[in-house]
Amino acid sequence: MKRILYIFIAFAVSGASLTSCKKDYLNTSPTEAIEEGQVFTDTKGGWAALNGIHRAMYSAYDNQDQTGQSTIMIDGDMLGEDLVMTSAGNGWFNASYQWTMHRNTSATHLKFVYYFYYRIIANANKIINQIDGVSGNDADKKAIKGEALTYRAWAHYMLVQLFGARYDAAKKPNNQAGVPLQTKFTIEPQPRATVEAVYTQINKDLNDALTNLTGYSRAAKSHFDSVVVYGLKARVALTMQDWSGAATNAEVVINKGGYSLMSNTDYVKGFNSAENAEWIWASRPTDDQTTAFNGFFAYMSVNFSSSNIRSNPKAINKNLYAYLTATDIRSQLWDSTGKKFTVPTADFKKYPYMNQKFIAKGASSSVGDVPYMRLAEMYLIDAEAKAQLGQEGNAADALYTLAHNRDVNYVKSSNTGQALKDEIAIQRRLELWGEGFRFFDLKRQNLPVDRSGSNHDAALALVLKVPAGGVNWQWLFPQDEVNANPKLEQNPL
Amino acid sequence: MKKALLLLLVAAISVIQAHAQTRPITGKVTDAKDGAPLFGVTVKIKNTNTGTTTNAEGKFSLNVTGNPVLEFTFVGFTTKEVASAGKSNIDIKLGADEKALSEVVVIAYGTTKKGSNTSATTQIDSKKFATRAISNIATALDGAAPGIQTNAGSGQPGDGPAIRIRGFGSVNASSDPLYVVDGVPYSGNLSSLNVADIESISVLKDASSSSLYGSRAANGVIIVTTKKGKNGRNQLQVNAIQGFNTRGIPEYNRVNAKEYYPLLWEAQRNALVTGGTALDVANRRASGLVAGAKGIKDLLGYNPFNVADNAIVGVDGKLNPNAELLYPDDLDWEKAVTRTGARGEYGINYSGGTEKTDYFASLNYLSDKGYVINSDFQRISGRINVNTQATDWFRTGVNLSGTFVKSNQTDVTSSTSYVNPIFFARNIGPIYPVYQHDATGAYILDKNGERIYDIGGSRGANASPGRNAVAENLLNDNSFTRNVLSGRTFGEVTFLKDFKFTTNISVDVANYRANTYWNTVVGDGAPAGLGGRTSTQTTSYTLNQLLNYNKTFGPHTIGVLLGHENYDQTASSLYGERQSQVILGNSELYNFTTTNNLYSYKRQYRTEGYFSRVNYDYDEKYFVSAAFRRDGTSRFYKDNRWGNFYSVGAGWRMDKENFIHNVSWINMLKFRSSYGTAGNDAVIDVDANPIYYAWQSLYKLGYNNALEPGVFFTKLGNPAIQWESNKSFDIGVDFAILDNRLTGSVEYFNRRSDNLLFDLPLPLSSGISTQTTNVGSMVNRGVELQLTGEIFRTKNFGWTADLNLSTFKNELTKLPQPEIINSTKKLSVGHSIYDYWLRDWYGVDPDDGAALYVAGNPTGAGVRTMKNGDVVTTNINNAKYHYAGSAIPDLYGSINNTFSYKQFQLSFLISFQLGGKVYDATYASLMNAGSYGNALSTDILKRWQKPGDITDVPRMDQSQTTNFNAATSDRWLTDASFLNFRSVKLGYTVPEAFAKKAHMRAANVFLSGENLALFSARKGMNVAQAFTGVTSNVYMPARIISAGLNITL
Repeated sequence: MKRILYIFIAFAVSGASLTSCKKDYLNTSPTEAIEEGQVFTDTKGGWAALNGIHRAMYSAYDNQDQTGQSTIMIDGDMLGEDLVMTSAGNGWFNASYQWTMHRNTSATHLKFVYYFYYRIIANANKIINQIDGVSGNDADKKAIKGEALTYRAWAHYMLVQLFGARYDAAKKPNNQAGVPLQTKFTIEPQPRATVEAVYTQINKDLNDALTNLTGYSRAAKSHFDSVVVYGLKARVALTMQDWSGAATNAEVVINKGGYSLMSNTDYVKGFNSAENAEWIWASRPTDDQTTAFNGFFAYMSVNFSSSNIRSNPKAINKNLYAYLTATDIRSQLWDSTGKKFTVPTADFKKYPYMNQKFIAKGASSSVGDVPYMRLAEMYLIDAEAKAQLGQEGNAADALYTLAHNRDVNYVKSSNTGQALKDEIAIQRRLELWGEGFRFFDLKRQNLPVDRSGSNHDAALALVLKVPAGGVNWQWLFPQDEVNANPKLEQNPL
Repeated sequence: MKKALLLLLVAAISVIQAHAQTRPITGKVTDAKDGAPLFGVTVKIKNTNTGTTTNAEGKFSLNVTGNPVLEFTFVGFTTKEVASAGKSNIDIKLGADEKALSEVVVIAYGTTKKGSNTSATTQIDSKKFATRAISNIATALDGAAPGIQTNAGSGQPGDGPAIRIRGFGSVNASSDPLYVVDGVPYSGNLSSLNVADIESISVLKDASSSSLYGSRAANGVIIVTTKKGKNGRNQLQVNAIQGFNTRGIPEYNRVNAKEYYPLLWEAQRNALVTGGTALDVANRRASGLVAGAKGIKDLLGYNPFNVADNAIVGVDGKLNPNAELLYPDDLDWEKAVTRTGARGEYGINYSGGTEKTDYFASLNYLSDKGYVINSDFQRISGRINVNTQATDWFRTGVNLSGTFVKSNQTDVTSSTSYVNPIFFARNIGPIYPVYQHDATGAYILDKNGERIYDIGGSRGANASPGRNAVAENLLNDNSFTRNVLSGRTFGEVTFLKDFKFTTNISVDVANYRANTYWNTVVGDGAPAGLGGRTSTQTTSYTLNQLLNYNKTFGPHTIGVLLGHENYDQTASSLYGERQSQVILGNSELYNFTTTNNLYSYKRQYRTEGYFSRVNYDYDEKYFVSAAFRRDGTSRFYKDNRWGNFYSVGAGWRMDKENFIHNVSWINMLKFRSSYGTAGNDAVIDVDANPIYYAWQSLYKLGYNNALEPGVFFTKLGNPAIQWESNKSFDIGVDFAILDNRLTGSVEYFNRRSDNLLFDLPLPLSSGISTQTTNVGSMVNRGVELQLTGEIFRTKNFGWTADLNLSTFKNELTKLPQPEIINSTKKLSVGHSIYDYWLRDWYGVDPDDGAALYVAGNPTGAGVRTMKNGDVVTTNINNAKYHYAGSAIPDLYGSINNTFSYKQFQLSFLISFQLGGKVYDATYASLMNAGSYGNALSTDILKRWQKPGDITDVPRMDQSQTTNFNAATSDRWLTDASFLNFRSVKLGYTVPEAFAKKAHMRAANVFLSGENLALFSARKGMNVAQAFTGVTSNVYMPARIISAGLNITL
């Protein structure tokens, strides 16, 4: 019996040691994520970290109205006068349309926008801070770093436009409060840098990006290359009223970028494919990266079968539409009668001036490429900058190239002075409708919102006029940032 | 060892000798109280395994050698020892008088007698919940003992409440107690346990009882013990319960269609006026009399009346007196999403045992149909528990159970998703029909003559346009199956007389498969159809080795336990989702064209621990115990993963002292006190899912950019994180007085949590929103009282009343930063974790009906100075935040009354709480200032309407919903006191004589009710929904009325 006893105990104890006494018994690792140290070992990991940011541009976050950059594009037009809500739909973006979302510190949508850009900055900083030390060839490292710098610049640029006071070239340096400036990954609370400091860093990052991206040929239009950086430099310069900078950089893209304006046939294909000859920068989701009810086309298309599209197709301001001639291909993007467009089922409500600029892949798929930069914008920047510089002939030429492409009967403008500037502005509004520019254009030009006398309904819009330059043009910082960042000072309420 | 062997030999020889000189002893055992024969009493020769049990007449017969001492034991009665010298007939009476003290209490890695227990342990025996219609064992804990707090829980069939023991131990780590089933930590779903298989539940409340579970015991331990067969009591039991489910908490009072339209007219009209439109124009526009401008009908979309669209509400804001509803019977969405559900439970078990082997086997079927459409829960479970004393020194057993669960679940995952029928039915305006109607109001029928669901594409923006939760819940599939196989086995070797070595091996395997299907007609899947499948396999192994030494010499008894345990849990999950259904009626993934989602992962959690406990008692009068455990977890970095936990406890049975022994009215008086530590490693995310790798900085996979591989930084790690530790002190008195008619205990606890695991909010501008950190300390201190009084104890009538009262104070004592604001709460030193931090609601301006808040900046936005000088604001961003009370009640408890009259038993359990506040977010959504299409509470009828109106409800104004209905304002706080008729049972025991005639040993029929009535400050408010005090649109508890039958053969 004694022996049996010993055998039993020995067995039990050894059983225990077999399973547990191994030194690494308590070391377990995740399978749905990678430890940071493993990401930054080689350039392959660096590319993965960079592509993660590209993906974040069209990822769905916590709510249906939180889908990467496309959400902020929609906000950009909701705040303006050119996009018209035909009904309240199922409520999405109503608060943006009514100018309350960005002035409500508790709005989850507001938090999303703010946090979205800082997540991109944090991911870019992680790359910028670590990529030099990984194994792999230098060309890859430079390309990865260059793209990350571009993201950092672009995200700060978006933030400062939304949350900072307007940049005014007439009162340099712009010492009004901008946004926290993050040039390395840190969880330490950061105060708001001045608007001037933020723009200085944006320009520095873009220039550094150019250095790194020279000679790099990108894999897809979701990536940045030097042409995109020139395009962004043109945009930033325009916002800073640096007219010559804007024109110079836009010209680089126009002349050396290798892009051409699209054909009229392509123009009415639905703005959903980065294959388009004039698209410079875009997200390219695949079918299994569906954004369902979240994505851009779930709110802006004519045909995706979401409650939002079915009840609330987005329309154009009829006063803006009135500028279109019958031969202008863009006139086919909107239907002033509200009867003509083909929609998938009878459940889809139709309204006058609704758009079919954006067409989703199908009634059941909101997947589509999302345009972030097109060549047309460069012509418009070039024209606007030159008009501001007083080079009116050159401005009219730049405008003609674009406008003539859209309307064969377009005659080169003989306008001068404010009339020319106005004509360029109208072309810009028509061309970029729905692509998220309007709020930013109004703010940089210090213009008011005026929705009166149009097809905006007071009951839906609540706000028909917003005077230029008031506190409402600065988005409020979300309460979560205010709570966790004692160094941050809220914008005037 | 040699000596032991010798001893064994001597013993063996003596046994052989004994055979030669046996003599019979017979006798009868009766109940000391009423003289009734006791059936199944174990009669044993002391210190041997030789014995028998009494028959139905209480009689026994046993052959003995020499003059041994006989030991009479019976569950619930005092064990008696009788010397057999010179006796051949022994008639004895067993008394239940010291019942409370002899009861065996299950504690960590063993059992003890209640009278010797030095810790705060509450045991709930099966008879407390046996005849209740409960599907989840956690439900049985509501009101069961002081110090146990439950929330209202979900009424989804199969679900139970969450449990908190002695306050709230954690902020962002789990505050759930550790569940131990048959000696082994259990991480499975509680709904997989068949309640009828459970013998007892022990709740270990203080550290001296729980610290032996070390790393996971910080929030208390709940030990579930399943049934075993009893020696000589072979029996077969059959039970059946049949009942029905209805909604336990009624809906909020909401305005009807005729009240609704003018209110929304007013909201539009006032919004237009606020926007600068002249009053008369605004009146006409809202009435729909201005061509080309949207009137209230355009904004609400539906005209359910028999009058023209522009004649529903006049320019005076009054409903057209001729307006009558076209389809008044089709506007009740609550009725459409609810039903009366049937609940049935049927079980059979048989058990018994011989001297050496006992067995228990059961089979049970439960079918529980919820009161919300398409929600049900079916469970088939079986168990076999066999234990045997294989040899003198070796004991072993197997406890195997298998469960199969199949359930349709109401989709209430998100409080405000369209598919959530509770949200939908509560919030849709009273003017929208469930089905389509023609212009006359008649139902439109499809070609089969069926009514057609109204998808409501043109409903108001806040009336879920384009959706229909009734149709969606009926056409979608949201179901799961779960198969659970649990095996426990042990080997126990007794050696060297006082030593026992036990090894326990257990395996729990759960296979879970969830089916999701979103239909092609309406909702998230329309028009193409969307299907998803989740398959998760969770396997956990526990292996432990325990060495026990027990020795009594003279008045001294010593017990020592040494142990080692390791635990390994692996969860592997696979999810696939595909879109565009090929043919209708088949939702398997094959039947779709496009893959939207496909991923799998594996998560692993392991712990390892070494532990020891020493107990000592002197003459069953003085008790001391000490325990120690060293535990390691996979959840922390290797340098910080090991933690040491210990406890000490002492008890003093004062009643055994001479100076009290003679005080006749004191039957028992025990002082006990303990101090100890326990840990918590259960880091969880906002949805309470465990985070396994919190210390690591992680890049999430699945961020591929089209086809290029991509990862995204989503988790900032913290290698420094370590155990959250709990240090608890407990002091208590247990007593039994007045002939044991009043028993109870009073205790005080002070439970301090240090190194709180906290998701520290970071500035969003850092690009990462939180980091798991050990940041602070928190104290829960409180007093618990438990009293049981046998108010009447006569032959025919008995009345016992239990009272449980608990009060505690939760207070943060250390934080790394002065304040941490998290949703509706702010953490700061001196406040509790559930102290509200909200905008300071001031009231309504009598002049214009604006909502007013105390101004944060007196010269800031929207400021007004009231006549009394108060500086207020109409701009929520300038509203001042302040502490506005706590979600923690001042006092909570329960009263349980049990009456017996002859063959009848009646008991009812009332649970209650006093004080504390609810943040009634679901009510807030019904108090909106004019969200088109959203339902309204009847309280909105008290709104401001004209200058001079004194009210606390602002004017209707759709343009001001943000300011008027600001979330996180203390306007939405309501008193959280409640009184809940939790459970009522009425039973009838068939008279023995009658039962016998029917060849039954016992039979019992009963009626029971759960959640019969809830009284709180507001009808509709789910007052105990969450410990945080915040309500949302959840599946509220069910009211269950049932009848049942229990037969023992």
